Amino acid sequence: MRAGRIMIMAEMHGRDLLRRHVALCLLFALPFSFYVASSDNGPSAAASGGVALAFAVSGAALFSVLSSRAADQRLVLSGYRPFEMLLGRLLFLGPLALMIAGLFSLTIVELSTPARPWVVTLGIAVVALQSVPFGLAVGAAVPRELEGTLVLIGVVGIQLATRLDTVSSKVLPFYGPRQILEAGLVHDGPLARPLFQTFAYGVAMLIAARLFVSRRVNVSRHEPLLTGPRAAGPGAEAGPAVKPGPVGAGPAVGTGAAPANGTAPARTGPRHFAGRRGRVSG
Amino acid sequence: MATQLRASGICKRFGPTIILDRVELTVGAGEVVGLTGENGAGKTTLMRICAGLVAPDAGRVRIAGRLGYCPQVPGLFDLLTTNDHLVMFGRAAGMGRQDAIARGHAILDEFGYPIHDKAVTQDLSGGTRQKLNLAIALMADPSVLLLDEPYQGFDRGTYVNFWDHCETWRRQGKAVVIVTHMLAELARVDRVMELAPHPSRAHRWADA
Repeated sequence: MRAGRIMIMAEMHGRDLLRRHVALCLLFALPFSFYVASSDNGPSAAASGGVALAFAVSGAALFSVLSSRAADQRLVLSGYRPFEMLLGRLLFLGPLALMIAGLFSLTIVELSTPARPWVVTLGIAVVALQSVPFGLAVGAAVPRELEGTLVLIGVVGIQLATRLDTVSSKVLPFYGPRQILEAGLVHDGPLARPLFQTFAYGVAMLIAARLFVSRRVNVSRHEPLLTGPRAAGPGAEAGPAVKPGPVGAGPAVGTGAAPANGTAPARTGPRHFAGRRGRVSG
Repeated sequence: MATQLRASGICKRFGPTIILDRVELTVGAGEVVGLTGENGAGKTTLMRICAGLVAPDAGRVRIAGRLGYCPQVPGLFDLLTTNDHLVMFGRAAGMGRQDAIARGHAILDEFGYPIHDKAVTQDLSGGTRQKLNLAIALMADPSVLLLDEPYQGFDRGTYVNFWDHCETWRRQGKAVVIVTHMLAELARVDRVMELAPHPSRAHRWADA
């Protein structure tokens, strides 16, 4: 059942995104544009383009969270769990990101002829995969689209603009993927450590996304009201119909102990008014 | 009459503004309660607290059975179709794909839903979206129904049909709370609870 709910979430997010034709085109076009625009920089254009893929994929992840904000809490109220919704998105966005990365890698490897093509391909795939939890975490943490977009532009932009050996570059989420991309352009360079860093960062961002999503779509589960065998839980509504007195007799505002003039008294403490059937309410 | 919903001592403030102050709401099985009050009186806040979407500052809510909540603003996905929504929300209630579609369309048919199987939600009229919103709230056959002005955008026939359904829900033993400004329709409910506006947070009761 849980797997079924996750699959449904993945399917519905997929349907939602696949109907955004312009957005889909931009998902592919954006990293290519970066690559082409920076092609004057020689082989390092591959690294720039690779990291720029993060703009596209994390943007898609960000908006998948923020655009369904109104519906998410209702889905949780209906029975979904926050982590099922998160996993559903991950299940759709992960393969989509890898598909974009595959197409992008083919182009880069063909045009830039890096020293180690498979390492560049690996680096681009890692950027794509890292972008999904990053976008989900930012989307879950920020209140609205504008803030999320600015955070995304800021983080990826700084990652692109700074040199690899700076502190600011090392603390950002695409440091590991960028190291791999740079290593693919030459004949040596570390791979295991950046891969581990990326993995650890990705897991941390997923945990952050999980925490933020849970907090944002939190639904209080009320205590069950045990009033009798037919009200004890799901399915209780199938009991015999209960009809409390005549229907359609019209409202009798001001009856019983309620104020006769129909005005609401200023509240100075708990006040109770008995209804027509003698129930003490209010 | 078995109590299905009991909200007791509910307090809520937003910043310095007290929205709800020790509000009590009890609804029994087969009872339809109309919740009225001026704009800003806290009707939607009380409904959201009862649904569990907003935490009260004080007080507690207890519910027997399943809860169905129809918000004032439909929380729907713009680019998903009616069937997509039915499948997604039906799955949450443990239904398979075909069961969810069949159940959803059975509910929608009752409210005169035009056939829009392939149309995405953003292309539907406001009233049609609201019918889908209401159908989603009814998908899991809830025993407690919280309806926050659910008829907005309904055409006249559907509007009348909606209020006729109160009688059906009553017969089925559901506890129903309807936020409404339609005073003419208060004859259709068993009881009216009026929330007073800020700053006097009093409310009064009346039987229908």
